Amino acid sequence: MHIPSIEVHKAATLAEASALLGRFSPDVRLLAGGTDVLVDLKTARFSVGHLVALGGIKKLRGVTEERDGLRIGALTTITELDRSPLVAGAYAALRDATSRMATPQVRNAATVGGNVAGAVPCADLPPILIAMNATALLSSDKGERTVALEDLVVGPRTTVLRDNELLAAVNVPRPPERFGAAYARFGLREANAIAVAGVAVALALNDDRTVRSARIALCAVAPAPKFVKEATRLLVGRVLDERACAQAAALAMEAAEPISDLRGSAEYRRELVGTLTRRALAAAQQRIGR
Amino acid sequence: MFTARTFTINGQQYDVAIEDGETLLDVLRDRLHLTGTKKGCDSGDCGACTVLIDGEPLNSCLLLASTVEDRSITTIEGLARNGELTPLQKSFVAEGGLQCGYCTPGMVLSATALLERNPDPSADEIKDALAGNLCRCTGYTGILRAVERCKNYLEGGQCAKPRGVEPSGVGASIPRIDAADKVTGRALYTADISLPYMVHGKILGSPIAHGLVKRIDVSKAKALPGVLAVLTGADVTDTKHGVSPARYDEDVLAKDKVRHIGDPVAAVAAVDEKTAERALKLIEVEYERLPVLTDAMEAIKEGAPLIHEKYKSNICTTVDFNFGDVETAFKESHYVREETFVGNNVFQSPLEPHASISTWSHDGNLTLYTSTQVPPYVQYMMAHLLHIPLGKIRVIRPAVGGGFGTKAATTPLDICSALLSRACGRPVKMVYSREEMFQYGRGRHKQHMKIKLGVDREGKIKAVKSEVHLDGGAYTSFGVATAYYAGSMIPTLYKIPNYRYDGYRVMTNKPACGAMRGHGVPQPRFAFECLLSMAADDLGIDPIEIRRRNAMTPNTMTVNDLDIGSCEFSATLDAVAGKSAWKDKYGKLPKGKGIGIGCGGFVSGAGYCIYRGQVQLSHEKGREPFQKKSIFPHANAVVRVTEDGEAAVLMIGAAEIGQGSDTVLVQMCAQSLGIPASRMRMQSADSEISPLDLGAYSSRVTFMAGHAVSRAGAMVLEKMKPYAAALLGCAASEVEARDGTVFVRGDASRSVLWAEVARKCFNADGPLVGTGWYKPPEGLGGDYKGATVGTSPAYSFGSSVCEVSVDLETGKVKIDKFTDYHDCGTPINPQGVHGQVEGAIVMGAGETVMEGVAFGDDGQLLNPNLHGYLIMTIKDAPEIFSGVVDSYEPRGPFGAKEIGEGSTLPVLGAVAHAIANATGVWIKDLPITPEKIVNAIRQKKAADAARRERRDEPVTAK
Repeated sequence: MHIPSIEVHKAATLAEASALLGRFSPDVRLLAGGTDVLVDLKTARFSVGHLVALGGIKKLRGVTEERDGLRIGALTTITELDRSPLVAGAYAALRDATSRMATPQVRNAATVGGNVAGAVPCADLPPILIAMNATALLSSDKGERTVALEDLVVGPRTTVLRDNELLAAVNVPRPPERFGAAYARFGLREANAIAVAGVAVALALNDDRTVRSARIALCAVAPAPKFVKEATRLLVGRVLDERACAQAAALAMEAAEPISDLRGSAEYRRELVGTLTRRALAAAQQRIGR
Repeated sequence: MFTARTFTINGQQYDVAIEDGETLLDVLRDRLHLTGTKKGCDSGDCGACTVLIDGEPLNSCLLLASTVEDRSITTIEGLARNGELTPLQKSFVAEGGLQCGYCTPGMVLSATALLERNPDPSADEIKDALAGNLCRCTGYTGILRAVERCKNYLEGGQCAKPRGVEPSGVGASIPRIDAADKVTGRALYTADISLPYMVHGKILGSPIAHGLVKRIDVSKAKALPGVLAVLTGADVTDTKHGVSPARYDEDVLAKDKVRHIGDPVAAVAAVDEKTAERALKLIEVEYERLPVLTDAMEAIKEGAPLIHEKYKSNICTTVDFNFGDVETAFKESHYVREETFVGNNVFQSPLEPHASISTWSHDGNLTLYTSTQVPPYVQYMMAHLLHIPLGKIRVIRPAVGGGFGTKAATTPLDICSALLSRACGRPVKMVYSREEMFQYGRGRHKQHMKIKLGVDREGKIKAVKSEVHLDGGAYTSFGVATAYYAGSMIPTLYKIPNYRYDGYRVMTNKPACGAMRGHGVPQPRFAFECLLSMAADDLGIDPIEIRRRNAMTPNTMTVNDLDIGSCEFSATLDAVAGKSAWKDKYGKLPKGKGIGIGCGGFVSGAGYCIYRGQVQLSHEKGREPFQKKSIFPHANAVVRVTEDGEAAVLMIGAAEIGQGSDTVLVQMCAQSLGIPASRMRMQSADSEISPLDLGAYSSRVTFMAGHAVSRAGAMVLEKMKPYAAALLGCAASEVEARDGTVFVRGDASRSVLWAEVARKCFNADGPLVGTGWYKPPEGLGGDYKGATVGTSPAYSFGSSVCEVSVDLETGKVKIDKFTDYHDCGTPINPQGVHGQVEGAIVMGAGETVMEGVAFGDDGQLLNPNLHGYLIMTIKDAPEIFSGVVDSYEPRGPFGAKEIGEGSTLPVLGAVAHAIANATGVWIKDLPITPEKIVNAIRQKKAADAARRERRDEPVTAK
């Protein structure tokens, strides 16, 4: 399994990366952590003549606290995000995803940008980011734009990114008071298991414990990460009792468009979505505290 | 395009010209010859290629070398300083943290990074840190222990002590003799070896599962610069090969037909592997597709397409065992139950891929380096195919990174590397990719098992009847023996007075199945153990008690004429029941928690070799009529004492594949010589140095090779005795030797150094050499067809209790704990024994709940990789207690029996029983996936509800 002849171009700035992308498109891919790209190249899932290596763009790396929330540079590795002291308090729900995906070695290489913009349907970060109302900052020679994370991925390995556009950062807004989030995933082994289904929930409660906001998102059960809009409408203004949770779970199950494959049948996956939704709701609620 | 790059590796600068697309792994191994970093999957799934980049572990197979120029790279070679192992490496050595050693460099590096960051990690933190390093041998138990106890091995700690101080003879848990080489990355596996002027070969496998080869055009491949030789079926011998002499049915390269995905069609040698891979893509093959059979039960139907036209049906072996009168016994039984079970097509997945290097001398002698369990069978088969005498073939078995049966036969790599090397006149190396390993296969047969049990009121077995269809894939391989084993081993554990077994080994368009750990037996054993536990529950007898009532006893002839010698099966039952607190748990656990029992045992070496009693020393000789004895010894050893008397070199061709045979053989030989094991050197890798030992299969090495080396050692001591007697002033018969001292029996104060006596021998008589050999006893087995299969000089026994937690909503099973006791005779090296048990439990448990090669209807493999084919990680592995019961096998060396395969057998049934106990449902087809559990629970609920409803209905007159 050798990678066919390929040229690697090291970009020092975002502008340079964007220019390189424009120059070689469509015979080009971005190389960040490489944990997906290299396997794809070796197994000839796709073949291209050029890679634009982003490792040299220092400003794309790292987690910073901004006025309105957390900014996660696209080149931040999963481990860096997992270990960042800024991922604390309500943000800590991100660790439900970062601590469990793949292996330590892969997490040391794989980047947040790759996990999000790689647009693999079972990627673990998108659901919790969507639930936490994150946005994606896209950059190209024409400037920057921001899209809601749920609007970034449109299908398997397909995004709204334009040819010379890169994901520069993911912004997670500062959570409000009485906020809790959680990501529940199901894999077939205790570690290094691709998600068979994943459900993320983010809740904010009013003082009277009614729901002020609620967002539920799914992965591995649709061609792209799935934001369950209807759940927000269902839950806002209600107290999260057993019935409300069951109804939310039912909505999530309905929203899922699972396929049958080696890891599970569509029916089983749908059932998992229900179970995981209930569990994520419970965990998020528990994190809000009494 | 090549670019000069500079890397900082282990503090040293390396300048090297590389292409942009090369991975760090390939640069380390192929360009810098730092081969301690291993290639296991090349996809980031196994962790064998782990290196530290600026102190953090990463997969070097997923890094382009061109992107890590400015980083600090640490490989396994960089850990030990000035030859001194790090405390962690010492801990791995001392605590049994490795077996085959192929995962070890990556494992040690991941653990090193953890301890740098967190010097006092909890068990969970260790597991988290090692979750990306797969191990197939140890069950992770020794690894966890090694990291936990690392602090005990600070500089100057236990390992630094000279080994001679510690007891090292039979019964001592000395560290593996190859451990230090394996924790430092110095151990050389086949793919690590480079010969001058060597080139690389690849095989083109069939992309379709069944079809006729209509046309092959290799002209474009031949024209590719760097390609040295291209071979197709037309260029190679018509002689077929295989394993079972009853049926050789494999072509070297497809002659006219392909029968499974990956069936070899052409082979290419080129200057490097990348060029060879490109050349494969340029070979044009036209196929005519034929209907594909992926289901054994379809393949046996009348009118099914024939996979081998030469034979009348797709059944290649039929077994018919009929002992006693089962039908009458069933009629007389108090309780009869019949159930159907289905096994899974499990693949061994050793961490080291199969690999071969061939090189020819100018006078036509072949040297073959190969990752094999069975050097002499490879030598024999190569002679058969190349039409040259055995004596012209030298087989070298470098370190082997696990086998478990997939390396128990001659591979297409062995054959094609030899043919390509002959064609291009240069050494040729060939290594399977992870996907090619799955396509080559030789994993476990998927068995369809219908089994019926009859017992009396007390639960004593009256009769057992089973009908098994073994799905064997496209070639016979070991299949004939597998079909017999599936039937012959059931009566060894319990007393079964009436027994019938009908076995059918069926061909399908899938990679051939072979002899995986426990050869043919684990699935029928799983089925039988489940059925016995079901019967116990139905009859209200405790499942361990029903086993006690039927347990095999010592010195018993089974109904199928297998001669059981020592047997402490009942003791293992008592021990697991006590240790696991069975009585407090069975039937008393909360919902979702379960406990289960399974038992098993195996042969200590097959009583007859694969070529049965015939002389197999020449492949040219025709088959001789079968006699009930071995014509030649199965294990042969030479021990030579060095001229100064300070060391002894043991030579025996027994295949060390990670199971630890080199170590136990050295211990036994040292014991019989009377010197510490530390003064022994082992030569087991080279057929030109070491005499024949049949190899690592049928759990035979400790037992059979153990006899050979003990006898060789004893012969040396006999030769020394007259000289010692002269020095000591006693009779030769009074001389004894231990730990390097020769003394008068009963008066250890009258002693002389062993080396001094050995020197006297050499000075007077020349080379001080001893030889020893072992033949199984004559006359083993009955007189019916297939009676030889299952015969053995001794049998092992074991019982396992498994405890699980099941998430009843998702069906997810967590195997919490295993308690295992074995009767393996008297252990030679207890740490080695426990290592085998721990590894077998994790492998067997994985096999029960998550493993299985999946196929599409077109015969395509759906998960030929280690992210689709799941094996347990350190986080899945249960806590394991492994114990041995007191036992002594008079026919074994120092009382020993086998442990390697028998330890797998109790596991499947124990896990299935525990899951049934936790959920209330028995899953009878493997693997027991979460989805199957959830579905079965739902069906049971529906059935229970329907029953309640029926009961609630008013009774109406019929």
